[in-house]
Formats: sequence, structure tokens, C-alpha cells
Amino acid sequence: MSWALFWKFVLVFCLSAYSLLVVIVIFGGIRNIIDMLKDLSAPRDQE
Amino acid sequence: MDVFSTNFATIDWVIVMVYICIPVVIGVIVRKYVRQLSDFIVAGRSLRLFVAIATLTGTELGLVTVMYNAELGFKHGFSAFHVGIIETVCILAIGLTGFIVYKLRELRVMTIPEFYEMKFGRNVRIIGGFLLATGGILNMGLFLQAGARFMMGVTGYSNPAGLKLFMSVMLIMVLVYTVMGGMVSVVLNDFLQFIVLSIGMLVGSYFAITKIGWGNLFRAPETVNQASWFNPVAEGSGFGSIYVIFMVVLTFSAGALWQSGTLRALAAKSPKVAKQLFAWSSVSYLARRVIPMLWGICAFVFISQTPKLLSAFQGPDAINSQFGMPIFLAKILPSGFLGLIAAGMFAAFMSTHDSYLLSWSSVITQDIVAPLKKGELSDKSRMLITRISIVSIGMFLLIWGLWFEAPVSLWNYMAVTGTIYLAGAFTVVTAGLYWKKASKTGATIALFAGLLAILGIGPWTQGDNVPFYLSDKFIGLITFAIAILGMIIGSLLFPDKHKQAEVSQ
Repeated sequence: MSWALFWKFVLVFCLSAYSLLVVIVIFGGIRNIIDMLKDLSAPRDQE
Repeated sequence: MDVFSTNFATIDWVIVMVYICIPVVIGVIVRKYVRQLSDFIVAGRSLRLFVAIATLTGTELGLVTVMYNAELGFKHGFSAFHVGIIETVCILAIGLTGFIVYKLRELRVMTIPEFYEMKFGRNVRIIGGFLLATGGILNMGLFLQAGARFMMGVTGYSNPAGLKLFMSVMLIMVLVYTVMGGMVSVVLNDFLQFIVLSIGMLVGSYFAITKIGWGNLFRAPETVNQASWFNPVAEGSGFGSIYVIFMVVLTFSAGALWQSGTLRALAAKSPKVAKQLFAWSSVSYLARRVIPMLWGICAFVFISQTPKLLSAFQGPDAINSQFGMPIFLAKILPSGFLGLIAAGMFAAFMSTHDSYLLSWSSVITQDIVAPLKKGELSDKSRMLITRISIVSIGMFLLIWGLWFEAPVSLWNYMAVTGTIYLAGAFTVVTAGLYWKKASKTGATIALFAGLLAILGIGPWTQGDNVPFYLSDKFIGLITFAIAILGMIIGSLLFPDKHKQAEVSQ
């Protein structure tokens, strides 16, 4: 396999996988932030 | 075609201005959630997986990351992609095995030097904290400069005073919201910036590829060596075998122990989340390298097809190669979208800066000032010291960025300054966690060995005919080797007489 073909594969993989990750993280992240703020609002002991 | 001509219009300025107010507003709102030091530094250890991925990406995909990777692509073509592949494999390996990050999260430390104290005592913590802060602050020394160059290239503002102006304004924005909200503010901003930046990068890549053409993209321009444009170990690529080995060592150690990234693992909800975070983020690490490199490659192809632009980047008065990518984007992206990209990049600038400022200032507070002070420091005093440190580091960045130029390339500067801390830290933490004979003396030698990497940013590393032993890549690699040897020899010759409680199980 030539270097050019290999980098072509890497580029296509990178753009596709990152697009998918962005969608997953946006939806999952909103839920996570709500939970995090709930945690931080709850009464706690000093560490 | 004028070099600094741009499609950046009034609407783009409006988009950028509106966008940069958001972090400050968030910083003010979340102040009420910051009640104790662990809230400020590790967001109360409440980060769940997806928001942790966003914030890790937001931190590790900064404007400076985009700039140094674009510069690599601009100067070396596709052969630069090897750095991305190596880093991705290293991050994935850390995520799958949990190497270092799982155990550190289990120990509930807030900074790496805190671990040094658990294993090797207070003095090693102070030395480690000092070297970490020194290497880290020096490492971010050119962030402001690179960020300002991007904004100048995109907006077409070529006035020599522009660099100072952009650097000052950008710094003030970041300082305000980091000082106010700490890690909670950082996490929320990172999430928002992850969204804007990611969409901007993906759509920007579409425009860049469309402009150059998919077929043309994989044909090396006539002005460059055909083989070295694609092959990182080919003669003339500017990399070579030593560089590739250095990248393996550097990206693996940085992946596990770069304080700003590791801070995300330490802030994770559990050790398992810390591990998953790295496995998922390997895709982000690939994107943070490959996409900006792609932009740099497209910029070079575009510029090499335009004689007036090409001549501006050649000869003794050549424009700095970091300007290549932003000048290219300014000419091909439509107005409106250019503002969004600029806002996204500015967001990237802020999300990296806030985390780095928080990382190094928390090290100064937790690992240098607090251990040196007799008696316990209250949370309130620690937060005050952290905030003062943030502002002081900001002032240093402004001064350093105005007079220092990276001798070889921005990435090489980052790699070598990162080694000051990483060579010692990687050795000491790995030995501390996984080698029972690791001793205080070995740890101290390994930490100090990291200082050798400073030689890698000297003027002798500059030029085409530098002997290999004076090159920054060789100095970086040998620093790691000396740190590891120092740890082994120091520990075997001077074992600890009274072993502290065993950390590793």
C-alpha cells in the first residue's frame, strides 16, 4: 500500500469517526452537565 | 492577490464579539457552585463520561494545537500525519489498559506532585511541583502569540501592533472567567466550545477539501520533494527515525501525565470513567492532529498555486509559516462562516488557556506554596493563591510571547518544553506505581534530569545543518533516557531506608 493511499484512509476514518463522536458527546454531555450541577448543589462535607 | 486580503466582514466581528461574552457570563453564574477547593480544581470529582470527553477535547484541542499542527502540515505535508497516528495509538492504549490514570484516580490526588509526596515524601513533591510548573508555564509561553497570529491572519489585520493588541485582549478575557469560576466554569465552557469548535472544524474541512479538490489533495505540489511529502522517515521530510521514536515516548507520557489532561481523569466520577475517557478520546486526539494538518496541507497547496502568495512565504523576509493556514481560511471561507470559525478557534484558545492556567496555578498552590508553609492553609487562602497565580502566569505569557520565537517550529518548541516536566514525571510516576524499589533519591535525579530538555530550545537547534546530537528531537529523547537511567541507578544505589506505605497494590 502506498503512503498516499494510507493517509487517504486515515483522513476518511478521522473525519467520519470524529463526526460520530461529536453527535454522541453532545447528547450525552447535556445529560451529564445536569447531573453534575445537581451533585454540586447537594449538601456536602468538607474534604 | 494581497497576502492579508480576507472575507472577514462586519457580521463576522459581531459573531466573535457575541461569542466571547458567553464564557464570562458562565463564569459569573457558576460561582455559586464553587464552595470548596476540590470544586475549584477538580469540579468536586463529579465529571461523567461524555462531558469529560468534551472537556478533555476542549482542553487538548486548543487554538495553539490547531496552529502547530497546521504549521506541521504546511511545512511537511502528509508525512506530519504520523504524529497523529502515534498519539492516537498511545491514548487508546492508555484507555484500554488504564495505565497510570486508573491508579492515580483511585488514589484521589488532585495534582501529580501530590502523588510524589504519597510515595516519595514532601521534598520530592516540592521539587516535582516546581519543575512541573516551570515546564508547563514555559510550554504555554507561545500560546498567546500563536493565537494572536491566527486572529491576525483570519481578520486580515496586518498592522504590526496587531499582535500586541490581540494578545492583550485575548488574555484579559480568559483571566476573567477562569479566576471567577474555576473548574466548574471551565467544564461548562469547554462543553460549549467543544460543540462550536467541532462543527467549525468539520465544516471548515469540507470547504478546504472542496477548494483544493480531493484528487489534487493527494498529489504533492511540484515545489516539494515527492517522497518526503508522504513518508515521515524519508530523507528531507524534516522528521526521521529519531523524531518518530521521540514522538512515541513523548505522546505516550503526555497522554498519561500531562497535567491538564490528567486533571480530567482525576476529576472523573470514578476510576472506571477515567479509563473510558481516554479510550473514547483517542478519536478526538486523532482529529486534533489530522484536521488542522489537513488545513495546513490545503493552505500550502493553495499558496503554491498562487505565485504572489508563494513569494511572500519564501526568502529572507518570508512571513512566519504559522500564518499559512489562517491566511488560506480567510480567503476561502464565506463571510459569516468565517466568523463562526474564528469564534470556534477563539473558543479553542480560551478552553485551552483556562485549563492550563488552572493546572499550573493549582500546582503552585497545592505543591509548592502549601507544602512550604508551616501549618495548614485554609481552602479560602488556597483559592486566593491559585487566583493570584493565574494572573501572574497570564502576565508572563504576555511578555514571553512578545519577544520569544520558536527556533524550529511551534510543535517542536511544545514538545521540548513539555519534556522538561514529562521526562521526570513519567519516570517517577511509573516507577512509583509499578516498581517497588523506586526510591526518593532516584525520583529526585529523574525529576532534575528533565531540566536537560531546556537545551532543546536553544538557538543551536535552528538551521538546516544542525548535527543530530544538537537537534531538539535528540535532546528530547536523550532527556527521557537519562531520567529513566537516573531513576534506576539512584534507586538501586540509594534505596529508601524507611519505606512509606505501599501505594501500588
